[in-house]
Amino acid sequence: MNKTFINKLIVLGVIPVLVLSGLFVFQDRSFILISLLIAVLALLPIFLSFEKKEANIRRMVTLATLVTLSVVGRFIFAAIPGFQPVTAIVVISAIFFGSEAGFMVGALSALISNIYFGQGPWTPFQMFAWGLIGFIAGHPKWSLRLKENRLHLVLYGVFAGMMYSLMMDVWTVMSLDGTFNFSRYVTIAALALPFMAVYAVSNVVFLLLAIKPVGEKLERLKTKYGM
Amino acid sequence: MSFSIKQGEFVVIFGESGSGKSTLLRLLKRELTPHGKKEGVIYYKNRRLDELDDDTSAREIGFVMQQPEVQIVTDKVWHELAFGLENLGEPTDVIRRRVGEIANFFGIHHWFHKHTMELSGGQKQLLNLASVLVMQPEVLLLDEPTSQLDPIAAEEFIDILHKLNRDLGLTIVLVEHDLEKVFPIADRVLLLESGNIILEAKPEEIGGKLKRLNDTHNMLQALPTVVRIFNELSDQPISPLTVKEGKRFITEHFNDHIVRLETSETSANDETPILEAKNLWFRYERNRPDILRGVNVSVNKGEIVTILGGNGSGKTTLLKVLSGQRRAYRGNVVLKGKKLTKYKQSALYKQLIALLPQDVQTIFLKSTVEEDYAEIGKVMNGTKEALEQSIHKIANLLSIEHLLEKHPYDLSGGEQQIVALGKLLLLEPEIIFLDEPTKGVDAYSKLKLRDLFMDLKAQGKTMVVVTHDVEFAALISDRCGLFFDGEIVSTGKPKEFFANNNFYTTIANRISRHQYEGCVTAEDVIDICKLNGVKKHEQNIH
Amino acid sequence: MRGFATFHPFVLFLYYAMVLIITMLMLHPVILVLSLFGSLLFFLTIAPLRQFLLDLGFYFLMFLLVAITNPLFVHKGETILFFLNDDPVTLEAIIYGFVIATMLVAVIFWSKSFSEILTTDKFLYVFGKVVPKSALVLSMAFQFIPLFKRQIKKVHEAQKTLGLYTSNSITDRILGGIRVFNSILTWSLESSIHRADAMKARGYGLPKRSNFSLYKFEKRDLGIIGALFVMFFVIIFAYIKQYFAFNYYPAISDFTDTKQYFFYFLFVFMLTILPFMMEMKENLLWTFLKRKISASPIRNKKNVS
Repeated sequence: MNKTFINKLIVLGVIPVLVLSGLFVFQDRSFILISLLIAVLALLPIFLSFEKKEANIRRMVTLATLVTLSVVGRFIFAAIPGFQPVTAIVVISAIFFGSEAGFMVGALSALISNIYFGQGPWTPFQMFAWGLIGFIAGHPKWSLRLKENRLHLVLYGVFAGMMYSLMMDVWTVMSLDGTFNFSRYVTIAALALPFMAVYAVSNVVFLLLAIKPVGEKLERLKTKYGM
Repeated sequence: MSFSIKQGEFVVIFGESGSGKSTLLRLLKRELTPHGKKEGVIYYKNRRLDELDDDTSAREIGFVMQQPEVQIVTDKVWHELAFGLENLGEPTDVIRRRVGEIANFFGIHHWFHKHTMELSGGQKQLLNLASVLVMQPEVLLLDEPTSQLDPIAAEEFIDILHKLNRDLGLTIVLVEHDLEKVFPIADRVLLLESGNIILEAKPEEIGGKLKRLNDTHNMLQALPTVVRIFNELSDQPISPLTVKEGKRFITEHFNDHIVRLETSETSANDETPILEAKNLWFRYERNRPDILRGVNVSVNKGEIVTILGGNGSGKTTLLKVLSGQRRAYRGNVVLKGKKLTKYKQSALYKQLIALLPQDVQTIFLKSTVEEDYAEIGKVMNGTKEALEQSIHKIANLLSIEHLLEKHPYDLSGGEQQIVALGKLLLLEPEIIFLDEPTKGVDAYSKLKLRDLFMDLKAQGKTMVVVTHDVEFAALISDRCGLFFDGEIVSTGKPKEFFANNNFYTTIANRISRHQYEGCVTAEDVIDICKLNGVKKHEQNIH
Repeated sequence: MRGFATFHPFVLFLYYAMVLIITMLMLHPVILVLSLFGSLLFFLTIAPLRQFLLDLGFYFLMFLLVAITNPLFVHKGETILFFLNDDPVTLEAIIYGFVIATMLVAVIFWSKSFSEILTTDKFLYVFGKVVPKSALVLSMAFQFIPLFKRQIKKVHEAQKTLGLYTSNSITDRILGGIRVFNSILTWSLESSIHRADAMKARGYGLPKRSNFSLYKFEKRDLGIIGALFVMFFVIIFAYIKQYFAFNYYPAISDFTDTKQYFFYFLFVFMLTILPFMMEMKENLLWTFLKRKISASPIRNKKNVS
């Protein structure tokens, strides 16, 4: 269990790093294209393993429901800028249904919500970012801790907000001139600090608010219908 | 229990909620077998159901559920029709042909390319039926398929079932609580009670047999109007089933000396209007058509006013405007002598106005009824004891003490309706608006609902109900109105109102109007028939 | 109308993949201008004019923003125009900024027409061929959205009449929002069980599932795929051969190479203008046909308007 998780994390984490370093060999040529390809490639293994393993129809419908919830959540709280429950739902899905489910909910939520909030080359990045947040939260050991310990949940919410922000900053930097420059990345990340703070706060708020009701309801489904 | 169903039969199963009808039906469809311990064997075409191969089981036994929406899987009508065949692994050309065929049979080709979510409830349920039939099942199982539909869509749906059974010889097992339309077309009826089949007979014999079994049985009230009237007036074993047969029964057997019942209607109502609407005009958006076009209505204190009207006529909108959720762009709603717009929202919905929406599930938030009720405490600002006391009082009034610990979503349609109403009552409203309160409610629960309404009325509550359930309106109303083309076109006491209508009237009225005047409920017809007495030549026979 | 959108979804997917790869891979000003030109023209034919102008205005601002930011960060290049806070601002960096901005806006407009042309059902069809289960989850989520939105509205109205959080203050809005969300949560998760049952009842999960669609792969689809691949390979060939090489730093290349390899740029032009030409062809053909129909002797005057 643990080993496969690490294997997958390697797939998820190392591939991008390898290709990124390859990019530096490429110099400033076609950064955006290649980074896009990486994001897509990184999405692929989980999607394929989901295809292979998922056989429970009820779980599949529930995942679709969770994806929709995170998307419409953006509508419900649209009145309050920056305040959105997507990450919270992704994390909770992961806690209850495991890494892959968390990844799927994250990635698909990004894909769908961008239909309403604007689709573009940043979509694969967002899919990957939210997917990864879910993937990590779904690790069996951590998910238990996140479920039981509110402090860990809060910390993870902050971490997820930072990670999301930092990952999206990569895209911002590249969209500036098509290359990735580390010092510029630091500048951008610093400029984006307020956003990061909003993400982190809204993640924590939504996680704390949602973990109990969503958890109870998912637990009810799991016991009542054996998922 | 043991029973068998022959090929090509049309079997109707009915019973009180909780009698196990749905469970029984689900056991017949292997994929939907509920969790739990099962004993006994189900045979399908002389083979054990659990030994069928997956393909046959999915293909040959079709299942249609209650909620139209939840059964739709894909986003386009054409794809929905193909979904089942895709699962069976049929090749494209076979799917194309079958989908085309079924779309034509159902007249779906007009909306073949539409998004499934744009369809009306009736269309959705029709699509669900078509998507099951496209797999060419031998047996069709249906679990209260019309309970969420309006009467016209429900009738259309039942007509199609009739056609499928009559013209294609499809075996149909239908669980249904509204027996009015299905009795005339069924071959056999099963009555379930706490997990047992207590009665099994042809539809025309059910009434008589049930009466002999137990003449105070709850389900006697759930039988079709014609059967109920017949049951009270005759001891013959074969009852009429249709309006046509009912009419003949009355003409042949009963005198017509007295054509009108003496009405003992006392206008105990306060004649002072508590709510008045004057010339209301409303539209949702500037460049959309008017939904309300000069509505005038006045409701007296302690009165039950019913507004009838077809689907999509704007009844719900009227309710929203009357209850202050939406504001008319012309005209006023006056509540207790003060314009509605002058009230603060927070004051309006506390101890003054409550609205029971069509979809009562939107009322519930918590995981038990009791917790849900306790929420109202936040609004009423009372002490904890006071709240508990009022919860207890309401639960007692509605006799729902046994439901307090349950999850609201686990209740039956009728129970949900009553529990939701209970939540509103905690707000101690003077006026209660109810939108389609009989939707998804079985016949017996409707009677309980009526009793409850009468209790509330006795407490001085005023009620405004919009519905397309003509029968229920006749039971409860002090006054009825017909909402049509953006206004209320006629109002009157139910007896006058329905007696003046030719088409838009109750079954009891249709059965009796050729001989008697102003009889709108089964009870009216029974009373007047008894009053008139049996015709001479009949008495000889008895 | 049988415009570009009526090609088989796979063809459309292929086209967008090719045109996006070329746009993002080749930092040649001529290619990027061609790509931007093609994407704008095509978007103009399929989107309402008002929306087109609005988008154009918005992305022009973005174009300027990106173009201006680059010289502020990058100080490479030999033609120094002036100093800003002791940092040199170079002509090369400015031009490179414009080039990158062109690329971004071109990619965005291609994405926009992509969303218009590859409607969700086409997208799901292609997606479903590759990853059927994920596509089904996605497809369900797609159609849940309007359903959920409607339910949200209903719950919102119902809860308002219960007398809680009726004011417009921010706390009431948040607390009210949470209540609505809570209700949607129970409702949706409960109904997901029924949904799954309905799917199972119709045989979902059986091993040999097939994939039905209304899309037919026609001869013209095959034809266009051939043409697309020819164009794509010629362009890639030219790229590998460095015919499209163009330097920005330290000095900007001149266009002698561009003139020399004019032939290859023609292919880029053909590829990027293709959807627009398809639409135009259909428009012309249609007007022509209409004229022919109305000119026919058996016409019914009432039908011609």
